[in-house]
Amino acid sequence: MRKPRTVFFLLLPLAAVTLLVLAACACVLAQSLGWVPAFGLEEITFSYYLDILRDEDFLRSLAVSLGVAAGSALLAAVLGTAVCAALTVRGRSGGAITYVLRLPILVPHAVVALFTILIFSQTGLLARLACALGLISDFTQFPQLLYTPGYEGAVAAYLWKEVPFVAYFTLALMSGVSGTLGEAAEDLGASPLRSFFSVTLPLSLPAVCRATLIIFIFAFGGYELPMLLGATLPKALPVEAYLAYMSPELRDRPYAMAMYGVILVLSVAMAGLYALLTRRLLRRMGGNHG
Amino acid sequence: MGKKWFSRLLLLVTAVCILLPAALLLVWSVTGRWPWPRLTPETYTLRTLRELLFGSTSLLRLLGSSVALAGTTAVLSTAVAVLTARATELYRFPGRSLARFCGLLPLLIPGTVFAIGVHLVFLRLGLADTVAGVLLVHLVTALPYAIAILTDVTAAVGANLEEQAAVLGAGPLAAFRWATLPRLVPGILSSLSMAFTLSYSQYFSTLIVGGGRVRTLAMVLVPYIQSGDRPLASAYAAVFTGSALLVFALFEWAIHRLERRGEL
Repeated sequence: MRKPRTVFFLLLPLAAVTLLVLAACACVLAQSLGWVPAFGLEEITFSYYLDILRDEDFLRSLAVSLGVAAGSALLAAVLGTAVCAALTVRGRSGGAITYVLRLPILVPHAVVALFTILIFSQTGLLARLACALGLISDFTQFPQLLYTPGYEGAVAAYLWKEVPFVAYFTLALMSGVSGTLGEAAEDLGASPLRSFFSVTLPLSLPAVCRATLIIFIFAFGGYELPMLLGATLPKALPVEAYLAYMSPELRDRPYAMAMYGVILVLSVAMAGLYALLTRRLLRRMGGNHG
Repeated sequence: MGKKWFSRLLLLVTAVCILLPAALLLVWSVTGRWPWPRLTPETYTLRTLRELLFGSTSLLRLLGSSVALAGTTAVLSTAVAVLTARATELYRFPGRSLARFCGLLPLLIPGTVFAIGVHLVFLRLGLADTVAGVLLVHLVTALPYAIAILTDVTAAVGANLEEQAAVLGAGPLAAFRWATLPRLVPGILSSLSMAFTLSYSQYFSTLIVGGGRVRTLAMVLVPYIQSGDRPLASAYAAVFTGSALLVFALFEWAIHRLERRGEL
């Protein structure tokens, strides 16, 4: 029954998909190196990368995107773990709250952008509440949170989606660990807090880290939220890259592709770094056990 | 029990943070006038509903095409995921960890970069600006999630029952159909629901690969948000989110029914 031939056929669709993904990345990288025969560009060169790396607008866009991605991913990791811990402490699985937690995973990013506008804009719900409480008398006194160079609005929107994602992603592992090893630690005399921080949390970290990596890469390459909620200057990197891609000046194409190349290379590097770190971490933890 | 009290509060705050924007969206979608600094709208209107139903963009057709696209994506990506999970979980072969890695690869490639690159590939293949092209991109986006779900389920179900069926004389297809497939169904349903949602909410990839010719709800919603017509944008967003939730609820209901029947 276990024929190698069967494996081959079972994996054919995945192979096709992988090929498509690799071909797409190769096309981006080739054009970023100046290989765009359709536009009469056939010289392979790193100069487009070197040019954008010297360009201040690009560097500011890169900083914005890294900041938004790292800030929202790390905050979401901490808050999401806290929510997950709260769910685990509660003890019983399921219930209305888990459905509520899954809601943000279902809501499209564009809708989340609209939420953010309705709540955080200067005439949004928060500003009206502040006025009702007598904190401000005019909407111009409410701090600008949207369309700012700090990208607070985009970070808030990402958090709304990502905190529940981290919590939900980690829940299965954490409640499993907590119900077995965590309880064992408590039976042996550890306080619930001690048991959580020295047993349950470290053993749940792999899921937290994986979720954080996924949302970091997503936010780093994300387009909708920074486009709808971000500043005119500096633009987030994917927005800047798309503008360059749409430029009527065809010779700008390699610059756009070099920006996408930077997004791609940094994302893959991040994933590689993650794999390296977790492997080392797991080995060290294994060493402690033995 | 101070800790229990604290965790309950945290969950309550989380739930309010999640549900409040959704409620606000519903209010805005029927708002006529809501001048500063009122906390509640001054007038309510059904203008948005009229606009949705009889406006320039035919909502029903948009809903239909979005649901059809997302539904097809869901079925295809789940089918690919069933095959992939079966190979990586039930067979031992060289390159098994590579196959597992390939299944998760699309998660490591930012969606914007993939959309741009795949558009270039599709230009060569004649798939650019077509529904088939958009379908393929959505499929790739949804696949790692479908594979993650079905890998767990396939590993849990294992091959024992199927082997017994084979010993009793069932052919490989029949053994799969009668011994394994029924126990994969809850996983298949979650995968369908996840893939549907992912495809339904795609914006950038549809924009690039569809070239503006493939119109989905997400494509129409974004310009409304940019236009600043909050009631109309809210109404579209409510229909968008509501229809996604409806489909999700249907799948959840089906999973529960199956699980309950399994217990009886």
